[in-house]
Amino acid sequence: MHPAGSAAAGTPRQRKWPSKRRIPVSHLGMADPHQLFDDTSSAQSQGYGAQRGPSGLGYPTASASPQAAFLADPVSNMAMAYGSSLAAQGKELVDKNIDRFIPVTKLKYYFAVDTLYVGKKLGLLFFPYLHQDWEVQYQQDTPVAPRFDVNAPDLYIPAMAFITYVLVAGLALGTQDRFSPDLLGLQASSALAWLTLEVLAILLSLYLITVNTDLTTIDLVAFLGYKYVGMIGGILMGLLFGKIGYYLVLGWCCMSIFVFMIRTLRLKILAEAAAEGVPVRGARNQLRMYLTMAVAAAQPLLMYWLTFHLVR
Amino acid sequence: MIQPQQPYTGQIFQPTQTFSPTAPQPFYGNSFEDEPPLLEELGINFDHIWQKTLTVLHPLKVADGSIMNETDLAGPMVFCLAFGATLLLAGKIQFGYVYGISAIGCLGMFCLLNLMSMTGVSFGCVASVLGYCLLPMILLSSFAVIFSLQGMIGIILTAGIIGWCSFSASKIFISALAMEGQQLLVAYPCALLYGVFALISVF
Repeated sequence: MHPAGSAAAGTPRQRKWPSKRRIPVSHLGMADPHQLFDDTSSAQSQGYGAQRGPSGLGYPTASASPQAAFLADPVSNMAMAYGSSLAAQGKELVDKNIDRFIPVTKLKYYFAVDTLYVGKKLGLLFFPYLHQDWEVQYQQDTPVAPRFDVNAPDLYIPAMAFITYVLVAGLALGTQDRFSPDLLGLQASSALAWLTLEVLAILLSLYLITVNTDLTTIDLVAFLGYKYVGMIGGILMGLLFGKIGYYLVLGWCCMSIFVFMIRTLRLKILAEAAAEGVPVRGARNQLRMYLTMAVAAAQPLLMYWLTFHLVR
Repeated sequence: MIQPQQPYTGQIFQPTQTFSPTAPQPFYGNSFEDEPPLLEELGINFDHIWQKTLTVLHPLKVADGSIMNETDLAGPMVFCLAFGATLLLAGKIQFGYVYGISAIGCLGMFCLLNLMSMTGVSFGCVASVLGYCLLPMILLSSFAVIFSLQGMIGIILTAGIIGWCSFSASKIFISALAMEGQQLLVAYPCALLYGVFALISVF
């Protein structure tokens, strides 16, 4: 084939010899008898020398082919803008639909915390015996954000405590030379599985006993997540001071969590009885009392179960 | 073949104005001399990179909230690679762990900061800040090449460096997202993330 046939850059397969040089702009306009496509670029060829850089999406010689004309000035700009706007539209679609699966605005309420609240809540988790008023304050029918009331549940502490528990468990295993990275994943998933099981069991019991309470699922997850704080304390003490330290601290944290849960859940599950302040005898209230005691008693058991194999 | 002269009409071919590159790019119809310089087109601004690095290195200096307006991932990429390189010098070939932990950590921080702040934050911003604040960790891993970090001095040094990294990161996040009274709350998850990096350097 004629070497100038490389000017017909449309179908490289038909070129017998590879084109070793790019056709400079001035050579366009040659009427090549072997050309397969119409040369429509002659009118616009002046601007093309500069266009190969920015607009070239891999087309080697932007000349004498409809593809180059397709990538002409406003079109290439628009095409790239369209491509990126497609990505942005995809992101918008995800943002709109994620609200159906994860209630983001409701979750934001549980993360509206500040340092003072976290400090007071941690103190409450370790020493709940002196706190008098456990009622959550309301503001026109909606509970006040955790920032303003220490009794409101939040999700920051349980989430951070869970992640810290997994890392401290890895540390404990590491000091006993039993560490491997997949064990971290194993710890995390087993703790998560127990949490899910607990939540489902309590939701089932609440349904069976037909309690009308304003305890939402996220509230429940928050309350059940507070035990990880005690577990972390126990493991750290166990690492520093051995089994004695572990049992002492764990025992203390178990007692505190027990009292904390009883006092908090009493207000949620036994709402009417608690409001009167007098334990009313009746089958319904007794069942609710048993449920509260069962939930509170499950906490120390799970705390022991999830940590005893980490401390030798 | 599409005639290039036919105007595009209708909504479907109208790109929305979301295409906003970091450096202003002129219309491609200009000739060669009017094209922006390569660095500007790539969005790499050395002056800003240097400013952000200085903000990280002076933990007590007050951060300016607007420096995080352009998210630039070139600096953090360099720092991650440098971290992996210093680990390599110490005989630990763990680029995979560094990559995995930084990906998971950035995702976690992104979710947390979006839930905790009033204004949202983009993933690029989170990745950029966390990457810049990895710089002191590179110091730690270069120490680990020469001295072993498993003694008492090593533990104190590690704790200090983790504190430095997380303090800088939380300072930049707080000023960029205007969150008050939450600096320690943001610093704690950063400390967890950098603690994992330190674990890789030490052990």
